[in-house]
Order: sequence, then structure tokens, then C-alpha cells
Amino acid sequence: MDIDLFEQLQKEGTISAASAEKVRTITTSRLFSVHWELKTILYLGVLLLSGGLGILIYKNIDTIGHQAILLAIALACGGCFYYSFRHKLPFSREKVPAPNSFFDYILLLGCLLLVTFITYLQVQYNVFGTRYGAATFIPMLVLFFSAYYFDHLGVLSMAVTNLAAWMGVTVTPLQLLSNNDFSSYTLIYTGLVLGALLIVAALLSHRLQFKAHFSFTYSNFGTHIFLIANLAGMFAAYDGPYGLWFLLLVAATIFFYSQAMKQRSFYFVLIITLYAYIGLSFIVVRLLMATGSEGGIYAGLLYFIMSGIGAIILLINVNKKLKTA
Amino acid sequence: MIAYNSQSLDNLYVQEQAEMAKRVDCITAEEYNAIITAHPAVLYTPNPYMRVGIFILTAIILLFSFGFFCLLSMSGGESAFTFLCLLFGAGSYALAEYMVREKKHYKSGADAALIWGAGIFLLSALGIATDADAPVWVWSCVALMLSLFFVLRFADVSMSIVAHLSLLGLIFSGCEKLGSIAKLIIPFAIMLASAGVYFLSVKLIAVHTYRHYKKCLQMLQVCALITLYIAGNYFVVREVGNEMFHMDLHPGQDIPGGWLFWILTVMLPLIYIYAGIRKKDRILICTGLLLIAGIVYTIRYYHSVAPLEVAMTLGGLMMIGIAYALIRYLKTPRHGFTEASSDERHAMEALQIESLVIAQTMSHAATPRPDQFEFGAGSGGGGGASGDY
Repeated sequence: MDIDLFEQLQKEGTISAASAEKVRTITTSRLFSVHWELKTILYLGVLLLSGGLGILIYKNIDTIGHQAILLAIALACGGCFYYSFRHKLPFSREKVPAPNSFFDYILLLGCLLLVTFITYLQVQYNVFGTRYGAATFIPMLVLFFSAYYFDHLGVLSMAVTNLAAWMGVTVTPLQLLSNNDFSSYTLIYTGLVLGALLIVAALLSHRLQFKAHFSFTYSNFGTHIFLIANLAGMFAAYDGPYGLWFLLLVAATIFFYSQAMKQRSFYFVLIITLYAYIGLSFIVVRLLMATGSEGGIYAGLLYFIMSGIGAIILLINVNKKLKTA
Repeated sequence: MIAYNSQSLDNLYVQEQAEMAKRVDCITAEEYNAIITAHPAVLYTPNPYMRVGIFILTAIILLFSFGFFCLLSMSGGESAFTFLCLLFGAGSYALAEYMVREKKHYKSGADAALIWGAGIFLLSALGIATDADAPVWVWSCVALMLSLFFVLRFADVSMSIVAHLSLLGLIFSGCEKLGSIAKLIIPFAIMLASAGVYFLSVKLIAVHTYRHYKKCLQMLQVCALITLYIAGNYFVVREVGNEMFHMDLHPGQDIPGGWLFWILTVMLPLIYIYAGIRKKDRILICTGLLLIAGIVYTIRYYHSVAPLEVAMTLGGLMMIGIAYALIRYLKTPRHGFTEASSDERHAMEALQIESLVIAQTMSHAATPRPDQFEFGAGSGGGGGASGDY
């Protein structure tokens, strides 16, 4: 804090001498925190180590060193979980803080290595059978269990992407659009179901007060997946019943919007507005193209200008509402 | 020079400081309220998320208005387009001024979109007028003048990056004209300019008159440190020199004075980190840590020390080890450093972002690729797949 400023305020009589003294003590004794720097190094270390071991195992698949690597992974994984069980704080339905910043990443490393190990066993020896997509199903169970048992948001996110992979969708944030073929209806329906499922999970976490702080992760994935699948359905039904998809979008938007207002989340209001705006624009452009006249182009451009202004006014008003609420 | 009311910005600063003091219980609620009423800030700053939305929507409006007028003036040919670009550039700038001065927008998203729009439209006008044929130094010069003006006028952080890069572009294209000696001079000219920008921003940031530009100057420090390293990096000097001056280097062939660039490549990040620790300067420490990746990449590119996966495994182990040792060492604060988090307020938000990063980067390890499976075409196997689960 700016000591000069508070001294000035004290001279003006706005704050008492005791308060100014408190500011002075706190500021002069303030330490330089390298918390996030250390966490970033840890994160990169875990990323490199798990990635390196993952490649090592598959590159050496038919050599003698293979068994040694496998053993090393098993030992390292066991070590990580041993550390996690030793140091974890008792389980609770509420948020449990990590005992130290090292803990989170050791648990993460343990989970990653366990998944590598299980996947390897499945690939090489088919240990878990070939039914029901066992290769992604079992890692998913492990991840969900670890996320709840040790209270780890990162592992929970990995579990959600694994659940999606098990259902056949890629949902890692950056590959959500590029890796999925959204012209297939199977994928679209899967997306809708998965999105709805995650939203329900978010609502339940909140309602039952069981790890309520997980609800953001669930509803974040759920909202994006549901709305993207919905928009994809609308685009895919270009010559078909796109009106029905639009009605679904309207209903979903109203529901998500009321939820976002209840949670007072600027973030959700923003993404819902943008998705709804894309959907509305699609409908308008589609209808204008149906008219087939040249005036349609001008009307379309004018629509984007006016609707853009309208959406900005809407955002500004919601901002005001959320701030004062 | 700055478009905002200086008094309002000062008051905003006082309010932020008061809020910090209130959060750590240094001042009472009454004192806090007294400070807020004594220092009113009338600036309009929406929530960061809203800011993103307003930015995107303003960009959409600008784009489609431009499209609309393009359609109207389709028959006018090239000169009409040049005129239209100039008009839109001036219009965006005028609108930005209006938003800031009348509507009191401050970092609202609309201002940034309009400033960027103005810059892009004016540069497009230059491009169309010269058939995209203008020499590099003209482009850099215009870009530098525009971005510098926007930085001074609106204290916009992103524009300070543009300003720094166009300054370097100007120096680069200027040196290029010197002929055969250019390839010897350019790295040092760029390094010298970067160092100049860095030390100038360090000086200016402490000056009271420039207090409203603090964030721009910090960003300039980061940019200057990075470009200083890039200009001295062995890989960049060798490959860019090879490409631009047709040096025809064969693999394994060294560049003149290569040892000097090797020293710079390896030493600069370490110097950054050391200086950062000595001066407790977060910018130096973080940039230095980031540039360690530059050292590793450069060395690995020319000297294959170990196969990639072995290097990854060992590097990962080493990083975890170093972090563990440092966390243990700083458990009780030493030399004014601590490993505890200093600001609890943003912790939850940071955790959410962290979890998204983990989901993005680590899931590849977690979800096996279909080609790793030996049981082939069975449905329901694999991470991609068909959905008939």
C-alpha cells in the first residue's frame, strides 16, 4: 500500500493516527510472495514428467527397459498417492484447503501416472475387457473419486473431460470446436445430454451442499457444451426444422440466464449473451437469405449494427443490475 | 496529454488503496466511507467480463458499419475505399474521444475497440493508397506514431506493445539499408534499443508525473526484456540472418561471433532472475523464468543432448525437485521472500483458471488416443469415437 497516500489522508483528518500506523506496519513488514511462480514451476514439472513417461512407455514397448519403466511408473504413482493419503486433511462435504502448495501437484501427478498405467494395462493385456469403453471408463472413475476425496478442482476438470471422452465428445477447452464433427446428429445429441447432465450435477452440488464449490466447474463445462451442441444442431438443420432448435435455444437461454442472475455471475451472463446472439443472428440471416433480394444484404448489415448496439446496452444494464444487487 | 480527467484517475487510485487497506483491516468502515466520499471517481468501468463482451460487440458494429458503407460506395473504386478507411479511422478516434470525455468510459472495452479500429482503418488507408507497396520503414513509422499517440492519450496497455514493436521494426528496417554490414549491426542495434526502452521505463515509472502510465510502462519493461533476449539469442541470430542475408549456412556451421551469442543465450535469463531476486522485481523474475525455455529450446535445437522424452522426464523431475526444495526453504520467510500466497481474494478465481489449464493440457495424457489401441475397430473403444456407448 502507498504509505505516502495514507499519511496524507491522516493529515487531512480522514483517517485516524492508529489506522495510518497499521498501514505503515503492514506495508513495511510485507513479504515478497513467490507463491504463483513456484506453483507454475511445479505445474510445468508435472506436465513434463507425466508427458515424458507417457511417451517413454510406448516408445520402448518391446524392449527390456520396458518393464523397468513400468515399474518406475507404478512406484512413482504409489509414492504420490502415499504422500497424498499421508498429508491430506480429513474429508468434509465443504471445501477442504490443500495442506500445502506441493500437495495439489503431487496428487495431480499421481492421478496422471495412474491413468497412464491403467491405459497401458488395458492396451497391452486388455485387463478390463473391451466392453463399455473400459479404457476411458476406469480412469474416469479414478479421477472422479480422487477429485472428491482429495478436493481438487484440476482433477475434477480432468474427470469431466474424461467423462466426455467416454461419451464420445472432446471437451478440452481449446479442442471443443476443432476436434468435434458437429454435423453428426449423434454427436449433437450426445452433447446435449452431456451438457444437461453436467448442469444437473452443478445444481445438485449446490442444492445438497456437497462440495458446493465444484458447481462452477460443472456448470462451466455444461453451459458451453449444451449451447454449442444446440447451435450446432441449428446449423446442421439448415434446410430443416431449425426453428425448433431455435426454440430450444431460447428456452435454454432463459433458464441459464436466470441461473446466472441468481449466482450473480458476470462470466455466465457474458457467454450466454454471446451464444444467444450467435443463434439470433443465424435465424435473422437465414430468414433474410430466404427472401433472396438485394435489399436483404443491406437489411442484414443494418441488423448487425443495430443488434450490436442493442446487445451492448443490454450488457451495460445487466452490469448495473448485478453491481447493485 | 491524457484524455482522462487526471483528478478522477487519482481519486480512483485512492479508492483502490482504501479498499486494500479495508480488506486487511487497517482502516475502519467509517474511515473507508469517508475516503470514498472525499474522493469521488465518476469513471465508468464495467466488470472485466462485461468489458470483453462490449469489446467484441463494438468490433462487430464497426466491422458491419464499414461493410455497409463499402456496399454503398462500391462504384467509387479505389480512391473511395481509401477515403472511406480514412473516414472510419477518424470517426472511430472521434467516437473514442467522445466516449472517454463525455461518457467517462475508462477501460470499458468500447474505448479499446475504437482505438484499435482507428489504428487499423488508418493503416489500411495507407495500404490501399500505396497498393501495399510502401517500404517497411514507412509502415513502422506510421504505426509507431499512431500507437505512441494512443498510448499517451488513452494510456492503453496493448498499444504500448504495438509501439515497442514498431520502434524495433523501424530500427530493423533502418539498419537493413546499410548493406552488408547490416547483419553484424542489427542484433546489437535491437538489443541496444530494447535495453534503452527498458531502462527508460524503469526510470519513468518512478516519476510522479507519469503515474497514470504505470501499467503501460510495466508492459514495456516485459516487452523490452523479451526482445532484448530474442535479439541476442543464438537461434534467432543464426536462422534470421541465414534467411534474410542468404548466408547459406550449412547445418553445423557457425556464425561469426557465435560464441558471444551463445553466452547471451544462456546468461541473459539467469541475469534477469538474479537481478530480479536482488531487487525483488517480479517482472524480471517472471520474464527470466519464461526465457529459461528459450535456453532449453536453443540448446536442444543444435545439440541433441538426449531424446525428447528422456529430456522431458528428467527436466520434469528437476523442476519438481527445485520447487519442492524452495517451498521447504521458504516455509519460514527468508530474505523477505515467502511461499505463502499474498492475496487471498483472487485465490478462488485463480484456482478455476488453473483447473481449466490442467483440463486443457493434461487430458492428453489421461485420454488415450485411438491409435494406441491394439483391439482395433471395436466400437466404444478409444477417446475419439462414435458415441454408441
